[in-house]
Amino acid sequence: MPTPRHHLNRERRRQALAGPPAEPAAARSRQRPAVMTAVRETATEPKRETVAEEAAVRPRRRVPPLTLAVLCVLTLLLGGFAGWAHSRAGELRADPARGNTALTDLARTSEIKGQTAAAVAALFSYDHADTGPFEQAGKTLLTGKAVAQHRTLLDGVLAQAARQKTVITTTVTDSAVERIDGDRARVLVYADQSSVSTAGTGERQPKAQKPPQKQAQDQGVYAGAMFAVDVVHRDGRWLVENIDTFGR
Amino acid sequence: MTRAVRTPAGSRPALAGALVLTLVAGGFAAWTGREWYAAAHDDSAAYAVQRDRALAAGEQAVQNLNTLDHRRVEQGLDLWESSTTGDLHKQLVDGRQEFTGQVKTAKTVTTARVLSGAVTELDDRAGRARVLVALRITVTTPDSKSTEKDSRMLGELTRSDGRWKLSGLGQAPVGGTAAG
Repeated sequence: MPTPRHHLNRERRRQALAGPPAEPAAARSRQRPAVMTAVRETATEPKRETVAEEAAVRPRRRVPPLTLAVLCVLTLLLGGFAGWAHSRAGELRADPARGNTALTDLARTSEIKGQTAAAVAALFSYDHADTGPFEQAGKTLLTGKAVAQHRTLLDGVLAQAARQKTVITTTVTDSAVERIDGDRARVLVYADQSSVSTAGTGERQPKAQKPPQKQAQDQGVYAGAMFAVDVVHRDGRWLVENIDTFGR
Repeated sequence: MTRAVRTPAGSRPALAGALVLTLVAGGFAAWTGREWYAAAHDDSAAYAVQRDRALAAGEQAVQNLNTLDHRRVEQGLDLWESSTTGDLHKQLVDGRQEFTGQVKTAKTVTTARVLSGAVTELDDRAGRARVLVALRITVTTPDSKSTEKDSRMLGELTRSDGRWKLSGLGQAPVGGTAAG
């Protein structure tokens, strides 16, 4: 036995003293003498300590049934409430209205609106004289099936634009975020598209101030377009993932 | 309490166990209760509900106002009036007779389908909202020819008596206003 016996006894005595306050009154009055004798016994007769300990412990096991019952009922009630509250909270949170953070998260909503408007403008604007920005936009702002959709939508237009030396400028006039679900969103876009045949003069292209003949042909053709785009958040940017032209 | 659990170590395991279970259950109850309370009193959730209500009402109203059958003009116009409020409502009421005559002469049937819609602005307190509604309108003339046209609608909604109604409706202008 590595622990000195007197130390064990001291331990036991302290337990015996600390024990009573936590016990119900009825049990205490009946049990205390047993404990005290046990301690006294062990102090004088170390050999009998195991037997004495058991004798002291056995009566204490009889917990008042009322306390136990109250605790059980309380446990069940609290547990039941916890389960119910958890499922209620889950139900509330699963509400589709809440899952959509369009407008409720204003910062994200305007970020999506801004980036989508910029992306649409870049993706649907074309200058026959400088196709760099258009190609760059196609490479960096599209992902997934939008790549093919974008090509299909613009192939015919581009062939014509190259022939007629057209400058197509697309501007988003109105847009609204329909839905934001984490890193995905859907934006409804109204855009104006102006096509100007033969090099557009004016503010957009200061470098095109070449021959004066072009100015006469500067008659824009405006067309309004509406479509929805699905955007996805990737590496800090919102990329166009799908272009929904409503079956047109 | 810790004493109660420690001291009778092994001496009254049933009580200690029950107490621990009760405390654990109490902890869970407090935690989930808070969770539930937070979920039920979430301002942004209430805002989201208003947003969805405004959008649903807006889409329905815009569709209603682009639907009219010359054989049931009165019914159609009643629906127009019940979907609107404010200035728009007044305009519709004022122009009703004239419009009825026009539709009856033209004998057209107009139907509309909402392709997509979204709320751009929502003032929950003032009860005002703006919506974009992409609409496909089909007009059928007496000789059964139908033409389809897409419309870019801009709607303004006002809440009256807890219901969102259309108080302004127009088409997004093309060209000229494209200032960015």
